[in-house]
Amino acid sequence: MTQAIQAAPLGHYRFKHVVRSEVVKILTLPSTAVMLGLTVVAGLLVTGLVTNAALHHGSGYYIGFDPTQEALTGLIVAGLTGGVFGALLITGEYSSGTIRSTLAATPRRPVLLTAKIAITAAVMVVFCELLSFVAFFLGQAILSGGGAPSASLGSPGAFRAVFMTGLFIALLALMSFGFGLIVRSTAAALAAFVGVVFVLPLVMRGISRGDVRYLPTNILVNSVMSTVHQGPGGIVQPLSAGLGLLLMAIYAAIALAAGAVLFARRDA
Amino acid sequence: MITAHSLTKHYGATTAVHNLSFEVPPGVVTGFLGPNGSGKSTTMRMIMGLDAPDSGAALIGGRPYCELVWPLREVGGLLDAKAFHPARTARNHLRWLALTNDIPLRRVDEVLDQVGLSSVANRRAGKFSLGMSQRLGIAATLLGDPGVLLFDEPVNGLDPEGIRWVRHFLRGLAAEGRTVFVSSHLISEMSQTADRLVVIGRGRLIAETTVADFVSRSGRGTVRLITPDLAAFAEALTGAGATVGDGDGASLTVEGLSAPQIGDLAAREGLRVHELMPITVSLEDAFMELTQGEVEYRPTTMAGAAAAGEGE
Repeated sequence: MTQAIQAAPLGHYRFKHVVRSEVVKILTLPSTAVMLGLTVVAGLLVTGLVTNAALHHGSGYYIGFDPTQEALTGLIVAGLTGGVFGALLITGEYSSGTIRSTLAATPRRPVLLTAKIAITAAVMVVFCELLSFVAFFLGQAILSGGGAPSASLGSPGAFRAVFMTGLFIALLALMSFGFGLIVRSTAAALAAFVGVVFVLPLVMRGISRGDVRYLPTNILVNSVMSTVHQGPGGIVQPLSAGLGLLLMAIYAAIALAAGAVLFARRDA
Repeated sequence: MITAHSLTKHYGATTAVHNLSFEVPPGVVTGFLGPNGSGKSTTMRMIMGLDAPDSGAALIGGRPYCELVWPLREVGGLLDAKAFHPARTARNHLRWLALTNDIPLRRVDEVLDQVGLSSVANRRAGKFSLGMSQRLGIAATLLGDPGVLLFDEPVNGLDPEGIRWVRHFLRGLAAEGRTVFVSSHLISEMSQTADRLVVIGRGRLIAETTVADFVSRSGRGTVRLITPDLAAFAEALTGAGATVGDGDGASLTVEGLSAPQIGDLAAREGLRVHELMPITVSLEDAFMELTQGEVEYRPTTMAGAAAAGEGE
């Protein structure tokens, strides 16, 4: 080549370059704002409706009442939309063909994938933590405004529940990203995600009631969101919050690891 | 410089590329010619590190693609006109690409200008026509000002003006000393764009040569002769060992003697020549001749001969 327009910098492309580019990718997709906006609106709406429905009951209603869990109910919606968001971050690249541009620009697949997972995790953790705390405060405001029992972050287990719920939803999104990496199609990834998170608990209940507590949805609702530890109906003792979160992290790690192995080996 | 060393790739039971070796030198446009499904795209994907060969290697400047330190500054590849997210604007597509290889963002507007997309830079790329998509893909290849460029069927779906633009553009890149490798199943296109040819069929090398050489070697060396002395000329030609065919009553088609030899013969014999015209076989004819039937696949270079000899 006769004239170079600019001299190439020393060294080589690194993790930080991929991270910058992945951040721009996320920010320049309209679906990001749509998904996250929808999550905020729907999540807070559910929290508002659920806490409002818990107002003005007789005192018997509030035995075992868990104001923290009530307020965090809206985060279940975030579990769904967050899962869609996580899957789309990778399947969108495959369905559009962008993945080939991405791999041509940064062909070292482990570096690329590490950056993608790190960005997805960072975005989801920050977003879900914010939403979790906002939902908590909104729910408590409605409960206390209506004269029902309410909690503060200082209440036993409340901060732990709010904080871990945010992390848990982020892990759900990462598991969904892993599904997306494995199947490389939006429809199939979402089917897998909804299947595991929302259908499997229903099926499992009919097969082995005691094992339902190991499923993501049940961990979220019964172990992570709740501060009053008595299983619904008292039949099944839920896992502890810490163990539940650890189990969810393992699920996400398995999905991501399987996806990563395939990503490194498969033709793009 | 792109080098393919005994590239082989199977998809299940199908052999997409078999023992394919060739070189793409800098400074000229090298056409990659073959019928649809002959393994051109697979080969290009292996060069770009998207598909892994079962055996063999594709090297760029001596290194495999995944070991390039700044891939976009070394290689620009357009393998797929739609390798972008439809919801992202053209400018944003180029922005994230530039960031991956630490390319200054001013290059984004420079290349958009170069391909004539400046006025639609902020429109969603999904709304682009095929021609505009191709231009965006070409802009992406230019971002890092690379010395090696690959284009897979870049004129597919373009209007005549777009085709002319791409042709001119590719030749310009080669004239700047870059390595330009462009695939096509359109022989007529290659004959106007390329200087050198790598011809494949069913994943195997058929020829690696210049366009001119490819045509002349494949042509049977036919010469058309117009003369008033038909009978005498035919006799003299046959006597000199040529095969003579009848033309339209005023001409002869001669095989086995070159135009200069026929002219010399005419001078010696005192025969009149009104017109003497070597018939150039078109690239298309040459191609058809070389690829008729699988058994006809014969490499025409030494490297290819060695490669395919053990292949069948």
